[in-house]
Amino acid sequence: MTAELVVVLIMAAALFAIGIYGALSQTNLVMIMMGVELILAAALLNLVAFWRYLHPGAMAGQMFVLIVMTVMAVEMAVGFGIAVARFRARGSVEVEEARELGG
Amino acid sequence: MIADPGQILFLTFFGAAAVWFGVVVFRTRSMVRSAIALLFSQTAVGAMFLVMQAEFLGVLQIMMMASEMSIMAIFMVMFMMDPGGLGAMEMTHQKRLSLKAGGTGFVLALAVILLGGWGAAVQEVPEAAVQTAALGRELLGRSMFIFESAGLTILTAMIAATMVAIAPHGEDEA
Repeated sequence: MTAELVVVLIMAAALFAIGIYGALSQTNLVMIMMGVELILAAALLNLVAFWRYLHPGAMAGQMFVLIVMTVMAVEMAVGFGIAVARFRARGSVEVEEARELGG
Repeated sequence: MIADPGQILFLTFFGAAAVWFGVVVFRTRSMVRSAIALLFSQTAVGAMFLVMQAEFLGVLQIMMMASEMSIMAIFMVMFMMDPGGLGAMEMTHQKRLSLKAGGTGFVLALAVILLGGWGAAVQEVPEAAVQTAALGRELLGRSMFIFESAGLTILTAMIAATMVAIAPHGEDEA
């Protein structure tokens, strides 16, 4: 068992749990995106920890980190695009007021 | 292999900072403070990358998050009814369910972390310049297709976000 790896994984698990709580409990679209950002930060931590402590020779690990960072940027761009459209149409980005979007 | 106590200390410190600021994001009433707390949390994650000797990724994370969170803070001020949190507005729903989901996720992850056999840690890591060169070769060699797909995805997202955000013709005059 490697102590450093376990420390990083536990911190990442805590960040993931906080992110899940935030994404589910907030009513504001921008705050929900903050929760998703925390979840993705936990994924980044896991990837770097596995690369560093288990396979430091395999650069594919670092490549995956870049891909997850891309996902973070895309999430922000699309999320803010939707927020702008929603604010323009309804004057608010509260998800409680978007019930008509439900199936 | 013997664990490095200095590395464990710094990882614990920056990890605790990341988790603490993560909690502050959802505890403070001021939205701008939330964005700044998230910036600190992501910076602490970047510092953890630096402790784990992934210099390029650590610096990239800190720079990217600094710009991303400042944009987020601007959007917060634009879109919030009460960005300063002065009116004590209720901004949460289904709190109990969210706490349960987060807690269950944490306990499950903890079980996997503590019960999984991770094997021995590798202590030697390529130095920063060698790592960056190897990452460049990986991106423009074996993983080129994935890397190019990521670029195309960003371009598509930029166009999609702009198209969604611009006003339909004539709406602004109405």
